[in-house]
Amino acid sequence: MRSERRNLWLGVAVVVAGQIGVLGWMVWDRVHLLSSGREIVLEVVPVDPRSLFRGDYVILNYDISRVEIPRGKKRLHRGSLIFSTLQKTKDGKWKLTAAGPERPESVGPDQVVLKGRVRFASRVARRGSNVATVNYGIESFFIPEGTGRELEKLVGQKKLAALIAVDESGNAALKGLIVDGARVYEEPLF
Amino acid sequence: MRSYRSKLDSDLPRWREAGWLTAEGEASIRKDVASHSRSLELAPALAIIGAVLIGFAAMSFIAANWDEVPRLARLALIFASLGTAYGIAGILFERGYPAFAHAAILAGVALFGAGIMLIAQMFHMDGYPPDAVLTWALGALGAGVVLGSNPALALAMLLMGLWSGWEMVESGVVHWPFLLGWGAVTAAFLWRWWVPSLHFAAVVLSIWIICLGYLLFDGHGHGVVVGVGLLIGAAGLALPSLSERWSAFSSPAFAYGMTIAFAGLFALQFVEKDVPLFGLILLAIAALTLVLAGIGFGLKTSSSAALWLGYGGFSLEVLALYFKTVGTLLGSSLFFFAAGFIVIALAAVAYRLHARMEAQS
Repeated sequence: MRSERRNLWLGVAVVVAGQIGVLGWMVWDRVHLLSSGREIVLEVVPVDPRSLFRGDYVILNYDISRVEIPRGKKRLHRGSLIFSTLQKTKDGKWKLTAAGPERPESVGPDQVVLKGRVRFASRVARRGSNVATVNYGIESFFIPEGTGRELEKLVGQKKLAALIAVDESGNAALKGLIVDGARVYEEPLF
Repeated sequence: MRSYRSKLDSDLPRWREAGWLTAEGEASIRKDVASHSRSLELAPALAIIGAVLIGFAAMSFIAANWDEVPRLARLALIFASLGTAYGIAGILFERGYPAFAHAAILAGVALFGAGIMLIAQMFHMDGYPPDAVLTWALGALGAGVVLGSNPALALAMLLMGLWSGWEMVESGVVHWPFLLGWGAVTAAFLWRWWVPSLHFAAVVLSIWIICLGYLLFDGHGHGVVVGVGLLIGAAGLALPSLSERWSAFSSPAFAYGMTIAFAGLFALQFVEKDVPLFGLILLAIAALTLVLAGIGFGLKTSSSAALWLGYGGFSLEVLALYFKTVGTLLGSSLFFFAAGFIVIALAAVAYRLHARMEAQS
Protein backbone atom coordinates (compact mmCIF):
# COMPACT_ATOMS: atom_id res chain seq x y z
CA MET A 1 0.00 0.00 0.00
CA ARG A 2 2.78 2.37 0.93
CA SER A 3 4.71 1.72 -2.27
CA GLU A 4 1.48 2.07 -4.27
CA ARG A 5 0.97 5.47 -2.69
CA ARG A 6 4.52 6.49 -3.43
CA ASN A 7 4.11 5.35 -7.03
CA LEU A 8 0.95 7.40 -7.38
CA TRP A 9 2.59 10.60 -6.24
CA LEU A 10 5.71 9.84 -8.24
CA GLY A 11 3.46 9.50 -11.29
CA VAL A 12 1.68 12.77 -10.55
CA ALA A 13 5.05 14.50 -10.13
CA VAL A 14 6.36 13.04 -13.41
CA VAL A 15 3.28 14.16 -15.37
CA VAL A 16 3.22 17.66 -13.88
CA ALA A 17 6.96 18.11 -14.36
CA GLY A 18 6.78 16.75 -17.90
CA GLN A 19 3.90 18.94 -19.03
CA ILE A 20 5.24 22.06 -17.34
CA GLY A 21 8.60 21.19 -18.85
CA VAL A 22 7.11 21.13 -22.36
CA LEU A 23 5.32 24.45 -21.84
CA GLY A 24 8.42 25.96 -20.25
CA TRP A 25 10.52 24.77 -23.16
CA MET A 26 8.12 26.48 -25.59
CA VAL A 27 8.54 29.74 -23.66
CA TRP A 28 12.32 29.39 -23.30
CA ASP A 29 12.73 28.58 -26.99
CA ARG A 30 10.80 31.69 -27.94
CA VAL A 31 12.52 33.98 -25.46
CA HIS A 32 15.87 32.65 -26.59
CA LEU A 33 14.97 33.33 -30.22
CA LEU A 34 13.77 36.87 -29.45
CA SER A 35 16.76 37.76 -27.30
CA SER A 36 19.62 36.16 -29.19
CA GLY A 37 18.30 35.76 -32.73
CA ARG A 38 19.78 37.88 -35.47
CA GLU A 39 17.76 41.06 -36.02
CA ILE A 40 16.59 41.92 -39.49
CA VAL A 41 14.11 44.53 -40.66
CA LEU A 42 11.58 43.62 -43.33
CA GLU A 43 9.36 46.16 -45.05
CA VAL A 44 5.69 45.42 -44.79
CA VAL A 45 3.83 45.46 -48.07
CA PRO A 46 1.48 48.41 -47.73
CA VAL A 47 -2.21 47.63 -47.49
CA ASP A 48 -5.14 49.75 -46.44
CA PRO A 49 -4.31 50.60 -42.82
CA ARG A 50 -7.96 50.33 -41.93
CA SER A 51 -8.01 46.67 -42.82
CA LEU A 52 -4.56 46.27 -41.33
CA PHE A 53 -5.70 47.03 -37.78
CA ARG A 54 -9.16 45.62 -38.03
CA GLY A 55 -8.98 43.22 -35.14
CA ASP A 56 -6.73 42.89 -32.17
CA TYR A 57 -4.04 41.54 -34.36
CA VAL A 58 -2.53 42.77 -37.56
CA ILE A 59 -1.81 40.66 -40.61
CA LEU A 60 1.48 41.55 -42.20
CA ASN A 61 2.47 40.84 -45.77
CA TYR A 62 6.03 40.95 -46.99
CA ASP A 63 7.81 40.89 -50.32
CA ILE A 64 9.18 37.53 -49.30
CA SER A 65 5.70 36.11 -48.74
CA ARG A 66 5.49 35.26 -52.46
CA VAL A 67 8.43 33.26 -53.69
CA GLU A 68 9.37 31.55 -56.89
CA ILE A 69 10.72 28.07 -56.35
CA PRO A 70 12.61 26.16 -59.01
CA ARG A 71 10.85 22.89 -59.74
CA GLY A 72 12.83 20.04 -58.29
CA LYS A 73 12.26 16.47 -57.32
CA LYS A 74 10.10 17.31 -54.35
CA ARG A 75 6.47 18.09 -55.03
CA LEU A 76 5.25 21.17 -53.25
CA HIS A 77 2.05 21.08 -51.33
CA ARG A 78 0.42 23.01 -48.57
CA GLY A 79 2.59 22.79 -45.50
CA SER A 80 5.85 21.91 -47.33
CA LEU A 81 8.92 23.47 -45.78
CA ILE A 82 10.56 26.29 -47.72
CA PHE A 83 13.92 27.88 -47.01
CA SER A 84 14.26 31.47 -48.22
CA THR A 85 17.66 33.12 -48.36
CA LEU A 86 17.75 36.87 -47.75
CA GLN A 87 20.69 39.09 -48.62
CA LYS A 88 21.45 42.41 -46.96
CA THR A 89 21.77 45.12 -49.59
CA LYS A 90 23.95 48.24 -49.42
CA ASP A 91 21.09 50.42 -48.20
CA GLY A 92 20.51 48.05 -45.28
CA LYS A 93 17.41 46.38 -46.68
CA TRP A 94 16.95 42.64 -46.84
CA LYS A 95 16.06 41.19 -50.21
CA LEU A 96 15.09 37.67 -51.22
CA THR A 97 17.77 35.99 -53.32
CA ALA A 98 16.73 32.35 -53.41
CA ALA A 99 14.07 29.98 -52.13
CA GLY A 100 13.76 26.24 -52.25
CA PRO A 101 12.63 23.14 -50.41
CA GLU A 102 16.16 22.37 -49.17
CA ARG A 103 18.19 24.32 -46.66
CA PRO A 104 21.08 26.07 -48.43
CA GLU A 105 24.43 24.50 -47.60
CA SER A 106 26.39 27.68 -47.07
CA VAL A 107 25.19 31.05 -45.86
CA GLY A 108 27.25 34.22 -46.25
CA PRO A 109 27.78 36.70 -43.44
CA ASP A 110 25.34 39.11 -45.05
CA GLN A 111 22.71 36.46 -45.52
CA VAL A 112 20.01 34.89 -43.37
CA VAL A 113 17.85 31.87 -44.07
CA LEU A 114 14.18 31.94 -43.09
CA LYS A 115 12.20 28.74 -42.67
CA GLY A 116 8.61 28.91 -43.86
CA ARG A 117 5.75 26.72 -44.90
CA VAL A 118 3.83 26.83 -48.17
CA ARG A 119 0.35 28.23 -47.80
CA PHE A 120 -0.61 28.11 -51.46
CA ALA A 121 1.38 26.64 -54.31
CA SER A 122 0.44 27.27 -57.88
CA ARG A 123 0.45 24.15 -60.00
CA VAL A 124 1.09 26.04 -63.18
CA ALA A 125 4.72 25.93 -64.17
CA ARG A 126 6.10 29.30 -65.07
CA ARG A 127 9.52 29.19 -66.63
CA GLY A 128 10.05 25.90 -64.88
CA SER A 129 9.27 27.23 -61.44
CA ASN A 130 6.45 27.28 -58.96
CA VAL A 131 5.04 30.37 -57.35
CA ALA A 132 4.17 29.84 -53.72
CA THR A 133 2.74 31.91 -50.92
CA VAL A 134 4.83 31.20 -47.85
CA ASN A 135 4.15 31.72 -44.14
CA TYR A 136 7.18 32.30 -41.94
CA GLY A 137 5.29 32.59 -38.66
CA ILE A 138 5.74 36.36 -38.62
CA GLU A 139 2.52 37.26 -40.38
CA SER A 140 0.29 38.07 -37.45
CA PHE A 141 1.01 40.41 -34.61
CA PHE A 142 -1.32 40.59 -31.65
CA ILE A 143 -1.75 44.08 -30.27
CA PRO A 144 -3.26 44.99 -26.90
CA GLU A 145 -7.04 45.14 -27.08
CA GLY A 146 -8.42 48.54 -28.05
CA THR A 147 -5.14 50.00 -29.30
CA GLY A 148 -5.75 49.14 -32.93
CA ARG A 149 -7.15 52.62 -33.74
CA GLU A 150 -4.26 54.33 -32.05
CA LEU A 151 -1.77 52.38 -34.10
CA GLU A 152 -3.84 53.01 -37.20
CA LYS A 153 -3.54 56.77 -36.66
CA LEU A 154 0.13 56.44 -35.89
CA VAL A 155 0.85 54.60 -39.09
CA GLY A 156 -1.39 56.64 -41.37
CA GLN A 157 0.40 56.82 -44.68
CA LYS A 158 3.81 56.18 -43.22
CA LYS A 159 5.98 53.23 -44.01
CA LEU A 160 5.57 50.20 -41.79
CA ALA A 161 8.33 47.67 -41.22
CA ALA A 162 8.70 44.66 -38.98
CA LEU A 163 11.59 43.84 -36.69
CA ILE A 164 12.32 40.13 -36.96
CA ALA A 165 14.58 37.87 -34.92
CA VAL A 166 15.98 34.83 -36.76
CA ASP A 167 17.89 31.91 -35.24
CA GLU A 168 20.44 29.61 -36.87
CA SER A 169 17.85 27.05 -37.94
CA GLY A 170 15.77 29.68 -39.71
CA ASN A 171 12.95 30.09 -37.19
CA ALA A 172 11.69 33.66 -37.19
CA ALA A 173 9.83 35.68 -34.59
CA LEU A 174 8.22 39.11 -34.76
CA LYS A 175 10.02 41.35 -32.33
CA GLY A 176 8.23 44.61 -32.98
CA LEU A 177 6.89 47.09 -35.48
CA ILE A 178 8.77 50.03 -36.95
CA VAL A 179 6.96 53.13 -38.20
CA ASP A 180 9.14 55.48 -40.28
CA GLY A 181 12.26 54.16 -38.66
CA ALA A 182 10.99 54.47 -35.08
CA ARG A 183 10.32 51.34 -33.07
CA VAL A 184 6.81 50.95 -31.73
CA TYR A 185 5.33 47.96 -29.92
CA GLU A 186 8.52 46.21 -29.12
CA GLU A 187 7.87 42.72 -27.89
CA PRO A 188 8.62 42.30 -24.17
CA LEU A 189 10.42 39.09 -23.30
CA PHE A 190 8.19 38.27 -20.36
CA MET B 1 -24.36 -4.29 -18.81
CA ARG B 2 -27.89 -3.02 -18.68
CA SER B 3 -28.86 -5.05 -21.71
CA TYR B 4 -27.41 -8.18 -20.07
CA ARG B 5 -29.41 -7.53 -16.94
CA SER B 6 -32.66 -6.90 -18.81
CA LYS B 7 -32.07 -10.08 -20.79
CA LEU B 8 -31.67 -11.97 -17.51
CA ASP B 9 -34.84 -10.33 -16.24
CA SER B 10 -36.76 -11.91 -19.06
CA ASP B 11 -34.86 -15.23 -19.08
CA LEU B 12 -34.66 -16.06 -15.37
CA PRO B 13 -38.42 -16.38 -14.70
CA ARG B 14 -38.77 -18.54 -17.80
CA TRP B 15 -35.95 -20.83 -16.68
CA ARG B 16 -37.44 -21.02 -13.19
CA GLU B 17 -40.84 -21.94 -14.58
CA ALA B 18 -39.23 -24.60 -16.73
CA GLY B 19 -37.88 -26.05 -13.54
CA TRP B 20 -34.18 -25.58 -14.41
CA LEU B 21 -33.64 -23.11 -11.64
CA THR B 22 -34.71 -22.86 -8.03
CA ALA B 23 -35.92 -19.61 -6.49
CA GLU B 24 -32.72 -19.47 -4.42
CA GLY B 25 -30.65 -20.04 -7.52
CA GLU B 26 -32.35 -17.14 -9.25
CA ALA B 27 -31.81 -14.89 -6.25
CA SER B 28 -28.11 -15.74 -6.07
CA ILE B 29 -27.66 -15.18 -9.80
CA ARG B 30 -29.27 -11.76 -9.48
CA LYS B 31 -27.10 -10.94 -6.50
CA ASP B 32 -23.95 -12.00 -8.34
CA VAL B 33 -24.86 -9.93 -11.39
CA ALA B 34 -25.62 -6.89 -9.23
CA SER B 35 -22.29 -7.15 -7.42
CA HIS B 36 -20.30 -7.60 -10.63
CA SER B 37 -22.03 -5.10 -12.83
CA ARG B 38 -19.94 -2.18 -13.82
CA SER B 39 -22.71 -0.13 -15.31
CA LEU B 40 -21.96 3.43 -16.30
CA GLU B 41 -22.75 5.47 -13.28
CA LEU B 42 -24.11 8.94 -13.33
CA ALA B 43 -21.76 10.45 -10.76
CA PRO B 44 -18.45 9.85 -12.58
CA ALA B 45 -20.00 10.98 -15.86
CA LEU B 46 -21.16 14.18 -14.20
CA ALA B 47 -17.72 14.60 -12.64
CA ILE B 48 -16.09 14.41 -16.07
CA ILE B 49 -18.54 16.89 -17.55
CA GLY B 50 -17.95 19.15 -14.54
CA ALA B 51 -14.19 18.97 -15.08
CA VAL B 52 -14.62 19.95 -18.72
CA LEU B 53 -16.87 22.87 -17.73
CA ILE B 54 -14.36 24.08 -15.14
CA GLY B 55 -11.68 23.90 -17.80
CA PHE B 56 -13.75 26.07 -20.13
CA ALA B 57 -14.55 28.49 -17.31
CA ALA B 58 -10.86 28.86 -16.50
CA MET B 59 -10.02 29.46 -20.13
CA SER B 60 -12.69 32.09 -20.72
CA PHE B 61 -11.85 33.85 -17.46
CA ILE B 62 -8.20 34.00 -18.43
CA ALA B 63 -9.04 35.10 -21.96
CA ALA B 64 -11.27 37.93 -20.67
CA ASN B 65 -8.73 39.27 -18.20
CA TRP B 66 -5.64 38.28 -20.07
CA ASP B 67 -4.25 41.70 -20.95
CA GLU B 68 -4.30 43.00 -17.41
CA VAL B 69 -2.20 40.14 -16.12
CA PRO B 70 1.59 40.43 -16.53
CA ARG B 71 3.16 37.70 -18.62
CA LEU B 72 5.07 35.98 -15.85
CA ALA B 73 1.91 35.86 -13.75
CA ARG B 74 0.06 34.33 -16.68
CA LEU B 75 2.68 31.63 -16.99
CA ALA B 76 2.57 31.01 -13.25
CA LEU B 77 -1.22 30.73 -13.46
CA ILE B 78 -1.06 28.15 -16.26
CA PHE B 79 1.59 26.09 -14.45
CA ALA B 80 -0.22 26.31 -11.10
CA SER B 81 -3.58 25.23 -12.53
CA LEU B 82 -1.88 22.30 -14.24
CA GLY B 83 -0.25 21.22 -10.99
CA THR B 84 -3.51 21.69 -9.09
CA ALA B 85 -5.51 19.51 -11.46
CA TYR B 86 -3.09 16.58 -11.22
CA GLY B 87 -2.67 17.13 -7.48
CA ILE B 88 -6.43 16.88 -6.99
CA ALA B 89 -6.36 13.71 -9.09
CA GLY B 90 -3.73 12.25 -6.74
CA ILE B 91 -5.77 13.12 -3.64
CA LEU B 92 -8.93 11.62 -5.15
CA PHE B 93 -7.11 8.39 -6.01
CA GLU B 94 -5.86 8.21 -2.44
CA ARG B 95 -9.32 8.75 -0.98
CA GLY B 96 -10.74 6.02 -3.18
CA TYR B 97 -12.65 8.01 -5.80
CA PRO B 98 -10.93 6.82 -8.97
CA ALA B 99 -13.71 7.99 -11.30
CA PHE B 100 -13.43 11.54 -9.99
CA ALA B 101 -9.64 11.29 -10.13
CA HIS B 102 -9.84 10.43 -13.83
CA ALA B 103 -12.03 13.48 -14.36
CA ALA B 104 -9.33 15.60 -12.69
CA ILE B 105 -6.66 14.05 -14.93
CA LEU B 106 -8.79 14.88 -17.95
CA ALA B 107 -9.05 18.47 -16.70
CA GLY B 108 -5.25 18.50 -16.35
CA VAL B 109 -4.77 17.31 -19.92
CA ALA B 110 -7.27 19.93 -21.12
CA LEU B 111 -5.35 22.62 -19.22
CA PHE B 112 -2.13 21.41 -20.85
CA GLY B 113 -3.73 21.96 -24.26
CA ALA B 114 -5.03 25.36 -23.20
CA GLY B 115 -1.54 26.19 -21.95
CA ILE B 116 -0.05 25.39 -25.37
CA MET B 117 -2.57 27.68 -27.05
CA LEU B 118 -2.20 30.50 -24.53
CA ILE B 119 1.59 30.46 -24.70
CA ALA B 120 1.45 30.41 -28.49
CA GLN B 121 -0.80 33.46 -28.40
CA MET B 122 1.24 35.22 -25.73
CA PHE B 123 4.46 34.90 -27.68
CA HIS B 124 2.91 35.51 -31.11
CA MET B 125 3.77 32.03 -32.23
CA ASP B 126 2.21 31.91 -35.62
CA GLY B 127 3.31 28.36 -36.06
CA TYR B 128 1.92 25.26 -37.62
CA PRO B 129 -1.26 24.19 -35.75
CA PRO B 130 -0.92 20.40 -36.30
CA ASP B 131 2.39 20.49 -34.40
CA ALA B 132 0.57 21.99 -31.41
CA VAL B 133 -2.10 19.27 -31.59
CA LEU B 134 0.62 16.59 -31.70
CA THR B 135 2.28 18.09 -28.61
CA TRP B 136 -1.07 18.02 -26.86
CA ALA B 137 -1.69 14.40 -27.93
CA LEU B 138 1.71 13.33 -26.58
CA GLY B 139 0.96 15.10 -23.30
CA ALA B 140 -2.35 13.23 -23.04
CA LEU B 141 -0.62 9.93 -23.87
CA GLY B 142 2.06 10.54 -21.25
CA ALA B 143 -0.48 11.38 -18.55
CA GLY B 144 -2.63 8.39 -19.54
CA VAL B 145 0.27 5.92 -19.37
CA VAL B 146 1.96 7.25 -16.23
CA LEU B 147 -1.25 7.70 -14.22
CA GLY B 148 -3.07 4.75 -15.77
CA SER B 149 -5.97 6.86 -16.97
CA ASN B 150 -8.23 5.50 -19.69
CA PRO B 151 -10.05 8.81 -20.38
CA ALA B 152 -6.71 10.56 -20.96
CA LEU B 153 -5.68 7.80 -23.39
CA ALA B 154 -8.98 8.13 -25.23
CA LEU B 155 -8.36 11.87 -25.56
CA ALA B 156 -4.85 11.09 -26.84
CA MET B 157 -6.33 8.90 -29.59
CA LEU B 158 -8.84 11.59 -30.52
CA LEU B 159 -6.04 14.16 -30.73
CA MET B 160 -3.87 11.83 -32.85
CA GLY B 161 -6.77 11.61 -35.28
CA LEU B 162 -7.21 15.38 -35.24
CA TRP B 163 -3.47 15.86 -35.79
CA SER B 164 -3.37 13.55 -38.79
CA GLY B 165 -6.62 14.86 -40.22
CA TRP B 166 -5.36 18.42 -40.00
CA GLU B 167 -2.04 17.47 -41.63
CA MET B 168 -3.84 15.73 -44.49
CA VAL B 169 -6.27 18.60 -45.03
CA GLU B 170 -3.35 21.06 -44.99
CA SER B 171 -1.09 19.13 -47.33
CA GLY B 172 -3.42 16.93 -49.35
CA VAL B 173 -0.95 14.04 -49.13
CA VAL B 174 -0.92 10.89 -47.01
CA HIS B 175 0.28 11.47 -43.48
CA TRP B 176 2.28 8.34 -42.64
CA PRO B 177 3.57 9.51 -39.21
CA PHE B 178 -0.02 8.97 -38.02
CA LEU B 179 0.70 5.23 -37.89
CA LEU B 180 3.41 5.84 -35.28
CA GLY B 181 1.15 7.98 -33.10
CA TRP B 182 -1.76 5.59 -33.54
CA GLY B 183 0.48 2.64 -32.73
CA ALA B 184 1.76 4.30 -29.56
CA VAL B 185 -1.74 5.02 -28.22
CA THR B 186 -3.05 1.60 -29.28
CA ALA B 187 -0.13 -0.06 -27.49
CA ALA B 188 -1.20 1.83 -24.36
CA PHE B 189 -4.81 0.66 -24.89
CA LEU B 190 -3.62 -2.95 -25.21
CA TRP B 191 -1.46 -2.59 -22.12
CA ARG B 192 -4.50 -1.36 -20.18
CA TRP B 193 -6.60 -4.09 -21.88
CA TRP B 194 -9.54 -1.75 -22.19
CA VAL B 195 -11.82 -3.25 -24.82
CA PRO B 196 -14.04 -0.24 -25.76
CA SER B 197 -10.91 1.80 -26.44
CA LEU B 198 -9.66 -0.86 -28.85
CA HIS B 199 -12.85 -0.34 -30.84
CA PHE B 200 -12.16 3.38 -30.76
CA ALA B 201 -8.63 2.74 -32.06
CA ALA B 202 -10.06 0.52 -34.80
CA VAL B 203 -12.58 3.19 -35.83
CA VAL B 204 -9.87 5.88 -36.02
CA LEU B 205 -7.58 3.61 -38.07
CA SER B 206 -10.46 2.60 -40.37
CA ILE B 207 -11.24 6.25 -41.11
CA TRP B 208 -7.57 6.88 -41.82
CA ILE B 209 -7.38 3.91 -44.21
CA ILE B 210 -10.54 5.05 -46.00
CA CYS B 211 -8.96 8.53 -46.37
CA LEU B 212 -5.99 6.90 -48.15
CA GLY B 213 -8.27 6.31 -51.13
CA TYR B 214 -8.79 10.03 -51.55
CA LEU B 215 -5.08 10.89 -51.20
CA LEU B 216 -3.10 8.13 -52.93
CA PHE B 217 -2.58 8.28 -56.70
CA ASP B 218 -4.01 11.80 -56.96
CA GLY B 219 -7.20 10.77 -55.22
CA HIS B 220 -7.73 7.51 -57.11
CA GLY B 221 -6.46 5.10 -54.50
CA HIS B 222 -9.77 3.50 -53.54
CA GLY B 223 -8.66 0.16 -54.93
CA VAL B 224 -5.93 0.09 -52.29
CA VAL B 225 -8.58 0.70 -49.63
CA VAL B 226 -10.60 -2.27 -50.89
CA GLY B 227 -7.47 -4.46 -50.83
CA VAL B 228 -6.48 -3.40 -47.31
CA GLY B 229 -10.04 -3.90 -46.07
CA LEU B 230 -10.25 -7.40 -47.56
CA LEU B 231 -6.87 -8.28 -46.04
CA ILE B 232 -8.03 -7.13 -42.60
CA GLY B 233 -11.27 -9.08 -43.00
CA ALA B 234 -9.38 -12.20 -44.07
CA ALA B 235 -7.00 -11.79 -41.15
CA GLY B 236 -10.04 -11.58 -38.89
CA LEU B 237 -11.37 -14.88 -40.26
CA ALA B 238 -7.96 -16.53 -39.89
CA LEU B 239 -7.36 -15.30 -36.34
CA PRO B 240 -9.12 -18.09 -34.36
CA SER B 241 -6.99 -20.79 -36.02
CA LEU B 242 -3.79 -18.84 -35.40
CA SER B 243 -4.04 -17.89 -31.77
CA GLU B 244 -6.44 -18.68 -28.98
CA ARG B 245 -5.74 -15.46 -27.13
CA TRP B 246 -6.64 -13.23 -30.06
CA SER B 247 -9.67 -15.16 -31.24
CA ALA B 248 -11.98 -12.65 -29.57
CA PHE B 249 -10.72 -10.11 -32.14
CA SER B 250 -11.83 -12.28 -35.05
CA SER B 251 -15.33 -10.99 -35.58
CA PRO B 252 -14.56 -7.27 -34.93
CA ALA B 253 -11.59 -7.44 -37.32
CA PHE B 254 -13.80 -9.04 -39.96
CA ALA B 255 -16.47 -6.35 -39.50
CA TYR B 256 -13.95 -3.48 -39.68
CA GLY B 257 -12.23 -5.01 -42.70
CA MET B 258 -15.52 -5.43 -44.54
CA THR B 259 -16.57 -1.88 -43.68
CA ILE B 260 -13.27 -0.50 -45.01
CA ALA B 261 -13.54 -2.59 -48.19
CA PHE B 262 -17.14 -1.46 -48.66
CA ALA B 263 -16.15 2.21 -48.25
CA GLY B 264 -13.50 1.71 -50.94
CA LEU B 265 -15.93 0.00 -53.30
CA PHE B 266 -18.50 2.70 -52.64
CA ALA B 267 -15.99 5.40 -53.59
CA LEU B 268 -14.99 3.46 -56.72
CA GLN B 269 -18.62 3.41 -57.82
CA PHE B 270 -19.90 6.80 -56.77
CA VAL B 271 -16.97 9.14 -56.07
CA GLU B 272 -14.83 8.29 -59.10
CA LYS B 273 -16.01 10.04 -62.23
CA ASP B 274 -16.68 8.36 -65.56
CA VAL B 275 -17.01 4.80 -64.35
CA PRO B 276 -17.95 2.66 -67.37
CA LEU B 277 -21.31 0.94 -67.05
CA PHE B 278 -19.86 -2.53 -67.15
CA GLY B 279 -17.34 -1.64 -64.44
CA LEU B 280 -20.10 -0.17 -62.33
CA ILE B 281 -22.14 -3.35 -62.59
CA LEU B 282 -19.17 -5.49 -61.56
CA LEU B 283 -18.37 -3.18 -58.66
CA ALA B 284 -22.00 -3.14 -57.55
CA ILE B 285 -22.12 -6.95 -57.59
CA ALA B 286 -18.90 -7.01 -55.56
CA ALA B 287 -20.26 -4.49 -53.06
CA LEU B 288 -23.57 -6.34 -52.67
CA THR B 289 -21.76 -9.67 -52.23
CA LEU B 290 -19.57 -8.07 -49.59
CA VAL B 291 -22.57 -6.64 -47.77
CA LEU B 292 -24.44 -9.93 -47.91
CA ALA B 293 -21.34 -11.77 -46.66
CA GLY B 294 -21.31 -9.31 -43.76
CA ILE B 295 -24.99 -10.01 -43.02
CA GLY B 296 -24.37 -13.73 -43.29
CA PHE B 297 -21.42 -13.50 -40.93
CA GLY B 298 -23.51 -11.44 -38.51
CA LEU B 299 -26.28 -14.07 -38.54
CA LYS B 300 -23.86 -16.95 -38.18
CA THR B 301 -21.88 -15.48 -35.28
CA SER B 302 -24.95 -13.66 -33.88
CA SER B 303 -22.98 -10.43 -34.01
CA SER B 304 -25.55 -7.68 -34.10
CA ALA B 305 -22.90 -5.08 -35.02
CA ALA B 306 -21.93 -6.97 -38.21
CA LEU B 307 -25.62 -7.44 -38.98
CA TRP B 308 -26.45 -3.77 -38.67
CA LEU B 309 -23.35 -2.72 -40.58
CA GLY B 310 -24.47 -5.11 -43.31
CA TYR B 311 -28.01 -3.75 -43.40
CA GLY B 312 -26.71 -0.18 -43.37
CA GLY B 313 -24.25 -0.91 -46.16
CA PHE B 314 -26.93 -2.62 -48.21
CA SER B 315 -29.33 0.32 -47.90
CA LEU B 316 -26.56 2.79 -48.70
CA GLU B 317 -25.44 0.83 -51.74
CA VAL B 318 -28.93 0.40 -53.13
CA LEU B 319 -29.85 4.03 -52.52
CA ALA B 320 -26.65 5.30 -54.15
CA LEU B 321 -27.13 2.99 -57.13
CA TYR B 322 -30.68 4.23 -57.48
CA PHE B 323 -29.55 7.86 -57.70
CA LYS B 324 -26.70 6.96 -60.02
CA THR B 325 -28.84 4.95 -62.42
CA VAL B 326 -31.82 7.31 -62.58
CA GLY B 327 -32.06 8.36 -66.19
CA THR B 328 -29.15 6.28 -67.47
CA LEU B 329 -29.07 3.68 -70.20
CA LEU B 330 -29.41 0.91 -67.72
CA GLY B 331 -32.62 2.24 -66.23
CA SER B 332 -33.45 1.94 -62.58
CA SER B 333 -36.15 -0.68 -62.92
CA LEU B 334 -33.89 -3.00 -64.87
CA PHE B 335 -31.19 -2.48 -62.29
CA PHE B 336 -33.45 -3.33 -59.38
CA PHE B 337 -34.71 -6.35 -61.22
CA ALA B 338 -31.13 -7.54 -61.66
CA ALA B 339 -30.22 -6.72 -58.08
CA GLY B 340 -33.26 -8.54 -56.73
CA PHE B 341 -32.44 -11.54 -58.89
CA ILE B 342 -28.83 -11.63 -57.64
CA VAL B 343 -29.88 -11.35 -54.00
CA ILE B 344 -32.41 -14.16 -54.37
CA ALA B 345 -29.80 -16.31 -56.13
CA LEU B 346 -27.38 -15.69 -53.28
CA ALA B 347 -30.13 -16.55 -50.80
CA ALA B 348 -30.70 -19.84 -52.58
CA VAL B 349 -26.98 -20.65 -52.45
CA ALA B 350 -26.91 -19.78 -48.74
CA TYR B 351 -29.92 -22.02 -48.12
CA ARG B 352 -28.29 -24.93 -49.94
CA LEU B 353 -25.06 -24.51 -47.97
CA HIS B 354 -26.97 -24.33 -44.72
CA ALA B 355 -28.97 -27.42 -45.54
CA ARG B 356 -25.81 -29.32 -46.48
CA MET B 357 -24.16 -28.35 -43.22
CA GLU B 358 -27.21 -29.44 -41.28
CA ALA B 359 -27.18 -32.78 -43.08
CA GLN B 360 -23.50 -33.27 -42.31
CA SER B 361 -23.95 -32.63 -38.62
